[in-house]
Amino acid sequence: MMAIYRDFRPWLLLLVRRRRRFLLGALLVLITLLAGLALLGLSGWFITASALAGIALSLGLPARLDVYVPGGGIRFFALARTVARYVERLYNHNTVLTLLADLRYRVFGYLMRLDDARLHGERASDWLSRLTADIDTLDNFYLRLLVPPLVALLGVVAVSLFVAIWLPGVAVLIAVTLGLLWLMATLLAAAWGFSQSYQQVVDQQSLRRLVVDQVQASAELMSYQTTRWHRAMIASQEQQAFLNQRRLGRKAALINCLVSIITGLMVLAVVWFASLVFTKQLVTGPILVMATLIALGVNEAFIQLPTSFIKLGASYAAVRRLNALTDDSSPSVPAVPLPEGVGLSVQVDRLSLHYSQTLEPALNGIDLQLPAGKRAVITGNSGAGKSSLASVLMGRLKATQGEAMVGGVPVWQLSSESRANHFVMLTQQVDLFDASIAENLRIANPAASDAMLWQTLRAVALDRWVEQLPKGLATAVGEKGQQLSGGQGRRLALARLMLCNPQVVILDEPFAGVDASTAEHIAASLDKWLINRTVIFFVHQVSSLKLLPGVEYRWHLDTGKLSQCPII
Amino acid sequence: MVTEEALSLTPRSWLQALAKGERKRLLGAAFCGVLAGSQTIVVVVGLAWLIDQLVVHDQLPVTLLPIFSLLVGCVLLRAAFQWGHETLSLEASLLIRQRARVELLDKLSALGPVWLTSQHSGSLANQAVEHIDALEGYFARFYPQLRITLCLPLLILAVAGWLDYLVALFLLLSAPLIPLFMALVGMGAERLNRDQFVAVSRLSAHFIDRVRGMTTLQLFGRTSDAQQDVWYATDGYRRLSMRTLRLAFLSSAVLEFFSSVAIAVVAMYVGFGLLGYIEYGPSPSLTLFSGLAVLLLAPEFFQPLRTLSQHYHDRAAALGAAESVVNILNQPSLVSEHRYETPLSDRSAIELTAACVSYPSRGQVIGPIDLTVRRGEVVALSGASGSGKSTLLALLAGFIAPSAGEYRRQDSHFAWLDQQPCMLHGSLSDNLRLANPEASREEMVAALQGAGFGPLLAQLPEGLETLIGERGVGLSGGQAQRLALARIYLSNAPLVLLDEPTARLDQETEQSVLAALLELSQQGRTLVIATHHPAVIAAAQRHLTFEQGQLVEVIS
Repeated sequence: MMAIYRDFRPWLLLLVRRRRRFLLGALLVLITLLAGLALLGLSGWFITASALAGIALSLGLPARLDVYVPGGGIRFFALARTVARYVERLYNHNTVLTLLADLRYRVFGYLMRLDDARLHGERASDWLSRLTADIDTLDNFYLRLLVPPLVALLGVVAVSLFVAIWLPGVAVLIAVTLGLLWLMATLLAAAWGFSQSYQQVVDQQSLRRLVVDQVQASAELMSYQTTRWHRAMIASQEQQAFLNQRRLGRKAALINCLVSIITGLMVLAVVWFASLVFTKQLVTGPILVMATLIALGVNEAFIQLPTSFIKLGASYAAVRRLNALTDDSSPSVPAVPLPEGVGLSVQVDRLSLHYSQTLEPALNGIDLQLPAGKRAVITGNSGAGKSSLASVLMGRLKATQGEAMVGGVPVWQLSSESRANHFVMLTQQVDLFDASIAENLRIANPAASDAMLWQTLRAVALDRWVEQLPKGLATAVGEKGQQLSGGQGRRLALARLMLCNPQVVILDEPFAGVDASTAEHIAASLDKWLINRTVIFFVHQVSSLKLLPGVEYRWHLDTGKLSQCPII
Repeated sequence: MVTEEALSLTPRSWLQALAKGERKRLLGAAFCGVLAGSQTIVVVVGLAWLIDQLVVHDQLPVTLLPIFSLLVGCVLLRAAFQWGHETLSLEASLLIRQRARVELLDKLSALGPVWLTSQHSGSLANQAVEHIDALEGYFARFYPQLRITLCLPLLILAVAGWLDYLVALFLLLSAPLIPLFMALVGMGAERLNRDQFVAVSRLSAHFIDRVRGMTTLQLFGRTSDAQQDVWYATDGYRRLSMRTLRLAFLSSAVLEFFSSVAIAVVAMYVGFGLLGYIEYGPSPSLTLFSGLAVLLLAPEFFQPLRTLSQHYHDRAAALGAAESVVNILNQPSLVSEHRYETPLSDRSAIELTAACVSYPSRGQVIGPIDLTVRRGEVVALSGASGSGKSTLLALLAGFIAPSAGEYRRQDSHFAWLDQQPCMLHGSLSDNLRLANPEASREEMVAALQGAGFGPLLAQLPEGLETLIGERGVGLSGGQAQRLALARIYLSNAPLVLLDEPTARLDQETEQSVLAALLELSQQGRTLVIATHHPAVIAAAQRHLTFEQGQLVEVIS
């Protein structure tokens, strides 16, 4: 219990920050409910009073009934319910969207602090695909799990107090029955369905993995003719999920039945006990009818509760995933400043990096010295550890042993701002955002003028191409830069770097996907821009040193081991 | 080949076809729902009668005990029908989703590896899992409720007519309005839901776009700006959508209005009728019983419609999900569904006669090609990237059916290895069973040793049951390639097709993989290798290359 509460707590606190909105929203729902109950109860009272007055009149007895006040009341409550419902929906929707903005802001804030191992680890695609759904689950918390039970509880209190004016015994009956019903529809439903609704999310995840396997291994499955074997695995997983969902669905149906039975029997009990009071002439007929109809109408507040609460386990699964993603276990170290105004050397001593899940270290006893302002190339096949080494050099990954030093300072201890100000890196996987070319360039330097943008585009030989685009710099690059070819995307990312003024530059495969003549053009502009900067190129193979101007050092990386090579 | 029918699926027609498969359960669910609703009618009419007897006729509660117990029975019966309604629709929804998933996964198999590699496997998995599950609400709630909405109000109208025909007339007059309001609510809710769906998914895409590019944002020190951006985008969407919602929520307010007004109008009519102010039609014969009964029936008349409008978002979600699934179902299948004819000559492993490959979007890519590969031969296939060697290999593998000409091969399994071998989420043994589900542990160990995975296996405390990949031990590129080689050893497949098997390996691993491949050929297997690598080409017996779209044999 406590563990569950602890996991929910940070998110509930975020919701509580908007408590004024939250309480006002709940109040509006309560008004809608009470207006509906008042409409029904007053109508019943009015009809019964009319009937009794009509009978009296027909018997020639004196009877008086003011029809205007109840009539006005009926019209008022009919209108009030409509208006309150409309305002309530609008207001609460606004709250839900406000919370969504809050939640995304918060989660993004957590993600900002993740290092490369977490951002690009093998599980990355897994959490990324669930991220928005998990946030939405939390967002739904407000409208499904916080407001309805509060309103139901307040409704019970209001109804009991109102009925207690004339029928205290019946009021106690209503309060006790609905109080227990409330506990059943919220806490009991949540506890009863918890493990199954949690399991449902786990099952979904397993099924997802199997489908990913089927897609990724389709060539193997087809060639070895084992598709049927794998599909049988999917089918058995699905069957298991199916049984779990059926069990959960039946539990939900059962609780719904119980709610229906309890509310139905309660109305009959109210009539029974109220009529006992009525026969003693302690209460009038119209009041009896009013109490009955109010008891009949109040069940509306309970109908949705079990369905929402039985799925609490699924919300818990979402919360746990978000917590796992956002727990900040890395100790914060005091940021060390970089020496200003001097060139920065790069120095690595006996550095090793061991990912927790692999058998062999990704980097093994790396030694590397690069004086300030010099250029080096590190060659290596894919999987040799180039990206890991680049990440360690940029302070984006902490080495298991040893330390990468830049300008005599351990990079891991630099603040993220000073890293961003002094280092740039062209990553192997280029990130372009779903925005215009200009916006993608200005990520590097928001203050860059159009002229500067054009200058860097010229440096990577994209200027002609952008010029002939109808929208020019304002052309959208699409999600993940899909509107551009791989080579164009890379060149755009390279142009982006040239808007910065860093002291250390790491370029991972700067010429991948670029044809030879363009590569030479880019190499020439790079040569100029790289003057007085400390540079490391990471490439697959050195095809031509012409593409890597001014390189004075060369290393080769093979399965995590670095060895010095002569310059060809 | 692809049928026209399969290509013309629309989200609606697909949902209808799925519903047809579970027609009985869905109708049963709706029927139970109507029966539960009819019990509600009995309960409210019974309540009205009870009250009438107590208040007007001064009956003692004890004398009415039989009626009380009858109503208790009705309450229980209503719960039973509700149970039937919920469990039947649950079962139908589960079975439908299972069937839809099978249909989608079958289609993915039929589309084959060539199409699948151009797709994002995560988003395909989303469609097979989340999108199929998004159909739940439609079949479990919306679909039966729509049927209930068509029946239950008529039943209520009949009972109301028996009690007081003026009230029934009032409800009847609003009855033609119901389809109108349904359409109104439907259109309002549908447009709202569709717009919301589009806007929300665009917004989520914006968020995911920024999260995906986190590395770059960190590198440029722009994370805080992006965080602000995320908030402004969501908040901007909120302000925009509130404007449209102001209109859209009117449709639900209209329903609320109608059910409130129905109560109010009936209450006023009955009240004044009972007071004797109305001398028209059935009014003089109104009693507390009939008056109270029609008062309670009036909101019930609108209740099914209100429930339906609550479930409208289920429909929108299902349509949205169906759209993306149908997009895949409508893709023309690439994989040949026919069995291969056996080669004309006993000594051939593969025979191509004037075979061509064309893609629907790009026209003919390669061909016509004539080629015979004998059993036991090692054939290297080279050519610049994009020249067609991967396409030819896909044709040989059967990942694409020839658009013209003939392809004959022994219709048995073959082995496949490409530059990035696929690792399943599971144990080492699961990954080996991919090649041969019946393999014994001894065979697996032998295959691993043959592929040079032996030393690594010895290091793993859990041996064959070691989990690899996301939930277990990460393998390096070379280790993964050795595991894939072990699959080939395990499969005994006579034909081995390889697509750049050494492209991503370091030199040492490359040598040992090459040696292992040559050993395969010594076992008498036929190898066709697409490769750039001179050492591989040199080791092959035959060398074919693509020159200007033509396949030519290089005679050394």
